[in-house]
Amino acid sequence: MTKTATIMIDDQTYQVPDGINLVDAAKLHGITIPVFCYHPKMESVGMCRMCLVELGSISVNRDTGEPDLNDDGSPVVRWFPKLQTACTQTVRDGTVVRTSTAQVLEARDNILEFILTSHPLDCPICDKGGECPLQNLTMAYGPGRSNFIYDDKLHLDKHVPLGELIYLDRERCIQCARCTRFCDELVGDDVLAFHERGRSLQIVTISDPPFDTKFSGNTTDICPVGALTTADFRFGARPWELDEVPTICPHCPVGCNLSASTRIDRDFGGKKMIKRIMPRQNELVNEIWTCDKGRFGHHHSRAADRLQHPMMRQGGEWVKIDWATAYHQIASKLKKYADSAGFLAGPTLSNEDLWELRQLAELTGDTPRLGVWPAAMTGAGVVAQVGIGVNTRLQDVGPETAILVIASDLEEEAPIWWLQIKQAADRGAAVVVANARETKLDRVTHTVVHYDYGDAVAVLNSFAARARSRRKTSKALLDNRVDGYDDLAAGLKGTRVPFADAADVLLDAENVIVFAGAEGLTLDQHRELMQAAANLLIITGHVGRQNNGLVPVWPGANVQGALDIGFSPETTASLIDEPPAMWFIGGADPAADDSQAAHVLANAEFVVVGAQFMTATAAQADIILPRQSFAEREGTYTNGMRRVQRFYAAQGPVGDALPDWTIYAQIGARLKGPKPPVSAAAVMRAITQHVPRYAGMGYSSLAHVEAQFPDVGGDDLYYGGTAYANHGGLGVQWATDAEDDSARLVVRPAQIEKPEKSGDLCIVPVRLLYDRGPLFEPSDIMHQRVPEPYLELNSQDAAHLSIADGDRVMVTAGEIQIETAARVNGHAPEGVVLWPRRLAHGPAPALFSACSVQKIEE
Amino acid sequence: MLAEKHADRINKIFAKYPDKRSGVMDLLYLAQEEYGWLTEDALREVADLVDIDPTQAHSIAGFYTMFSEKPKGKYWLQVCTDLPCALRGADTFYRELCAYLGVEDGGTTDDGLFTVEQVMCLAACDRAPMMQCNFHFHEHLTIEAAKELIEKLRVQAQPETQEDGGA
Amino acid sequence: MNLINGFATTIKHLLERPVTVQYPEQERAVRERFKGRHALKRYDNGLEKCIGCSLCAAACPADAIWVEAAENTDEERYSPGERYAKTYEINMLRCIFCGYCEDACPTEAIVLEHKYRLSFHDRRDAIYTKERLLDPPPAGAPDTPWVTEPGTFDRAIPIMQDPD
Repeated sequence: MTKTATIMIDDQTYQVPDGINLVDAAKLHGITIPVFCYHPKMESVGMCRMCLVELGSISVNRDTGEPDLNDDGSPVVRWFPKLQTACTQTVRDGTVVRTSTAQVLEARDNILEFILTSHPLDCPICDKGGECPLQNLTMAYGPGRSNFIYDDKLHLDKHVPLGELIYLDRERCIQCARCTRFCDELVGDDVLAFHERGRSLQIVTISDPPFDTKFSGNTTDICPVGALTTADFRFGARPWELDEVPTICPHCPVGCNLSASTRIDRDFGGKKMIKRIMPRQNELVNEIWTCDKGRFGHHHSRAADRLQHPMMRQGGEWVKIDWATAYHQIASKLKKYADSAGFLAGPTLSNEDLWELRQLAELTGDTPRLGVWPAAMTGAGVVAQVGIGVNTRLQDVGPETAILVIASDLEEEAPIWWLQIKQAADRGAAVVVANARETKLDRVTHTVVHYDYGDAVAVLNSFAARARSRRKTSKALLDNRVDGYDDLAAGLKGTRVPFADAADVLLDAENVIVFAGAEGLTLDQHRELMQAAANLLIITGHVGRQNNGLVPVWPGANVQGALDIGFSPETTASLIDEPPAMWFIGGADPAADDSQAAHVLANAEFVVVGAQFMTATAAQADIILPRQSFAEREGTYTNGMRRVQRFYAAQGPVGDALPDWTIYAQIGARLKGPKPPVSAAAVMRAITQHVPRYAGMGYSSLAHVEAQFPDVGGDDLYYGGTAYANHGGLGVQWATDAEDDSARLVVRPAQIEKPEKSGDLCIVPVRLLYDRGPLFEPSDIMHQRVPEPYLELNSQDAAHLSIADGDRVMVTAGEIQIETAARVNGHAPEGVVLWPRRLAHGPAPALFSACSVQKIEE
Repeated sequence: MLAEKHADRINKIFAKYPDKRSGVMDLLYLAQEEYGWLTEDALREVADLVDIDPTQAHSIAGFYTMFSEKPKGKYWLQVCTDLPCALRGADTFYRELCAYLGVEDGGTTDDGLFTVEQVMCLAACDRAPMMQCNFHFHEHLTIEAAKELIEKLRVQAQPETQEDGGA
Repeated sequence: MNLINGFATTIKHLLERPVTVQYPEQERAVRERFKGRHALKRYDNGLEKCIGCSLCAAACPADAIWVEAAENTDEERYSPGERYAKTYEINMLRCIFCGYCEDACPTEAIVLEHKYRLSFHDRRDAIYTKERLLDPPPAGAPDTPWVTEPGTFDRAIPIMQDPD
C-alpha cells in the first residue's frame, strides 16, 4: 500500500499518493497545471516556468501536531511569498495549491508572452501545428497581443538536419530541454546538447553519425513545439486530417503499440496510406516510446516492388494467375503430396494466419509437419511454465529486482526492452549482462559476465549451483510443486562457479527477470539454455509473480504466437534434415538466412511461398502468393511477454494481395475443409475455442482499454507529448503454469553441449536492428543507418592475419565465399568472426561454420 | 595530439578528480592552449579522453565564454561593456579600441595578433573601463593606455612571428 | 378606370429599356466583391503564394478542398519557404462559394474571383486541379518550379510587421 497524502488544490481536498510530483497529483484529479519542460517520464528541471502556482502548506502546531486554526475555524496556511514552479514540488500532507488565481493567470500570460518573443509565426507550415502544446496553451492562457516588437524577433536557421531522420527548426525551440534530457537521462546516448547560452541557446549534435541513437524519433513526440520534426513525416499532412489506426510493430518481439496516422493520397492511387507511425501508449509494453526502426521502418507496406498478383512458374517464366487457379493448383498439389508436405510459418504471420495454416495442414494428414522460421530459438514449454509474471511493468522495477540478460545484444534485438532495462538500472535495479562479447548494455552495469561462446548454459548452471550452495532455494516451491529436483541437484553437485559475484547479485534480489537470447547458440544448446534459465528461476522461486520470470528475446514479432499455435523450430530442423517433397511457406525467407535451407528448397518438388517481396525463397517457388503486410489487414500478434495484441487495417490494399488466413482458408475449402471464415475476428474466435491459453481473447476483450497513468495523448499534448492515447486495446497476457498454484513445475539438468570448433576461426552470426531484411530495406529513409556489409574480427586474430580495421577481406566458409569489409574494434572474442545477419544479400554461413579470412590486397 | 604531447599533464588532471569526465574543463583549457582555439577535432579529442560524446564537449565549450570555438588572434582582448562599465565609458573605449586596431566588433586583426570582443561582467566594475588580455586584467584603462599596451604586445610578438615565418 | 391604369402600366414598361441580357453572348459585369471561381495567386516575382498549409480545407464547410503538401528544395522551388502544395483540388460541385477559404489563407493565395461560368459535361471535370486554378506567372516572371540560391527564400510566410 502506498501512503496517501491529503492536499488542497483550489480549495478542494484531494487524496493523492504521497511524494508524487505536484503536476501529476493535480492531473490525477483532472486539474490542469500547464507545463512545457516537465514530462511525467523525466526528472523535473523547472526551466520553462509555465507551471507557476501559489503554493503553501497548512501550518501545524509543533507541540500538539494539530493544524493551527484561524478564528473562523479554517486551517492557517503558510504561503510562499512568491509563485512557485509546481513541477519541482512533491506533494505531502498539508500541501495547498491555487492554480487559477489572478496572480497565477497573469504569470502564465507573461511567461507565454516571453516564450513567444522569438517564436516564429509559421504555424501554418509547421508539422506540429494543430497538435502543438505551445499553440494550445497560448490559446488557453496566452496574451492576445505582445508588448515586444515583431521586428526584434530573432531569425535563425529553419532547416537544420540533426542527422538524416530529424530536422531542427532553431527559431521554434523554446529551450525546454526535453529532447536533451530524453537522450541523456532516459537513453544514455548524450548526443544532443545545448550550445551557447541566453538568447543564443541552441540544440546541437556533433556525434558521428549525427544524433546517433536508436530512439531519436521520440524526441519529436515530446518536443512541445515544432522545433524537432521527422524527415519521414515532414509536411505529410496536417494533424487534424489524419486518421489514427492502432497497430502493432511487426519488427521485434517487444510488440510496441503503435498508431498509424493515415490519410488518402493521390500518389498512392487515392488509397489510404500510412503518413507516419507514432507510439501508442501501453504502460505494460512500450510506455510511450518506440525505436526508430518501428517508427520509420513502415515503408515496406507500400513499396513499389511488392508482389501484387499470384504467380506460377511455367517453363522458367513467371505467369500471372488468378486466385481461383492458384487455390486449385495448390489444393491439388497438397492432395498429391499429402504425406510429404512441410509447412513453414514466418515471424510476421499473425495468430489468425497461423491458425488457418494449421487447419490447412491438418487437412493433409493427422500429424502435419509445422515449422517456424527463424528456427533459432525454442522453449515453448519452458515459457509456458515460467514465462514472466502477468502484469509485469518493467518501468516499475527498482532496487529490489535483478535482471539477467544472457546471450542477447538487446539494443539490437529488442530496443525498447533495452531502454527499459537501462532505466531500471538507473533506478537501482541490479543488471547482470552475460554474453560472449561486449554489448552496449554492458555500460549500464558493473556486473558483466563474458563467457566463451558455448558456455552460456554452463554459466546458468553455475548460478543454480550457487543458489544451492548458498541455500537460496525456495523450499516451499521445491517441496510442493517441483518435479525432477533431485536429478537437477545431483547434476549440479560440484559445479564450479566462476562468476560468483554475478550469481550473488541475482540470488540476493527479491525479484529476478531473465531475458534470454540465442546468440552463438545452436537450437539444441538454446533448448538447454532455456531449461537452465527455468531451473534457476524455479529453484529460487522467482516464478509466477509480477516482475519475475523468463522473457525470451524471440527472433521476430510473432514467434511466441507460432509456438502457442503449435509450430515448432524442432520441426523446422527436421524439415531441413529430412526434406518433404512439397513445401508450403508463409512469410518466411529461409533461403536468404540459411544456405542449407536454400539448398533443400532448390531440390524440392513443389514449393508454395506466400511473400510480400520477391525474396530468395520466393524466387525458388513454383507458386507465389502475394500476402498483405501488417498495414493492410487486421490480426493479432503475441509478444515476447505473451501479451496478445490486436492490430487494425491502416492502409489501402496493394494489388491482389490477401491476408494469409484468407488464402489458407480458401485452399482448405478446396480440400473439403470447412467454409472459409468471414473475418479475422471469426478466426480468433476459433482460436479462443481450441487453444486453451487463448480462451477469452476475443477481439473485443483484446480491444479493451483502461485508464493509464500518466494520462498522455488526447487533450494532454502539453503533458506527455504527441504519443497517442490508446484506443485500440491493451492486449491480454496469458498466464503461465507457475501462476496456477495447482500446476506442477518441472526441472531437469541442462546439458552442456560444447560446439565443435572445426577451425581456428569460426563464424557466429549476430542480429542487427538495422539490416537489409525485406521488411526494412524498402524504408529508404533509414538507408544511411544500415552499415555496409562487414564482419568483426578480434584484434589478435586480425593482427595474425595482418588485417586492419576497414580492410576488404575475402571470407571462405565451406562452399560460401564472400567479399566484405573487416572491423577490428575489440568486440569479437578471439577465434570468432562476428557475422551480422542480413546485411548483405547472398548466402549466409551457418553458426560456428569454420572459415578462413584473407585480406584482399588493393 | 594531446594524449601524446601532454601525457603528464593529462594524468595530473585525471588524478585530481574522482571521475574521468570531471576533467573535461581542464582538458578543454589544455586543448585551447595547444591549438589556440577549440577546433572540432580538438573537441573530439578531449571527448575521447574523458569518454563522453563530442556533443557534450561542444556544449561545454559553447557555454563558457572563456572557451573559444572560433579562430582567435594571439592576444585575445575582452572588454566588459556591461551597464556599470558602460556608465564609466567602456562602450566608447571599446569603439575606439576597434577603430585603432581597424577591426569590426569581435574581429581579428589581419596580422592575426589581436582579437577583440565585448564580454559580460568581469567583476571589476569599479575599475572600468577594463579588459582582459589572454585572461589577465588591465584596469582603469584609457584608449592611450590601451594603445601603449597594444604596441608593447606587437613588439613582444615580433621576433616570434619572424621565427615562425623562418621556420 | 382600372382598365386604363392597367394598360398605362403595360405601356410604361413597353417604353422602358429592356433589362434582359443576352447571356451568353452578352455578360453582365459583376460586383467587386462577387465570389466566383477560385484562383491561386502568385507573388509579383512569379513564385506561388500557396504554401500547402491546408487551412482552407480545414475551414471549408462543404469539404470541397483537397490539399497535399510537399517540401520545396532549392533545386525545385514552387513557393517561398519550406512547404508548397503538391496537390490542390477544389470540387466545384461541392463548393458553396462562401469564401471561408479566402479568410483562412495566411498568405492570401486563394482568392474567389469573378469567373462564374462553371458547367461540366463530366462530374470529374468539376474537380479543379492546381494547374487549372493557378494564375499564370506575371509578365516576364519565370514559371515554377525554380532553381534558387540556398538561403534566398527561407520564409514561408512574409515576416510579420508590427501592427501599429
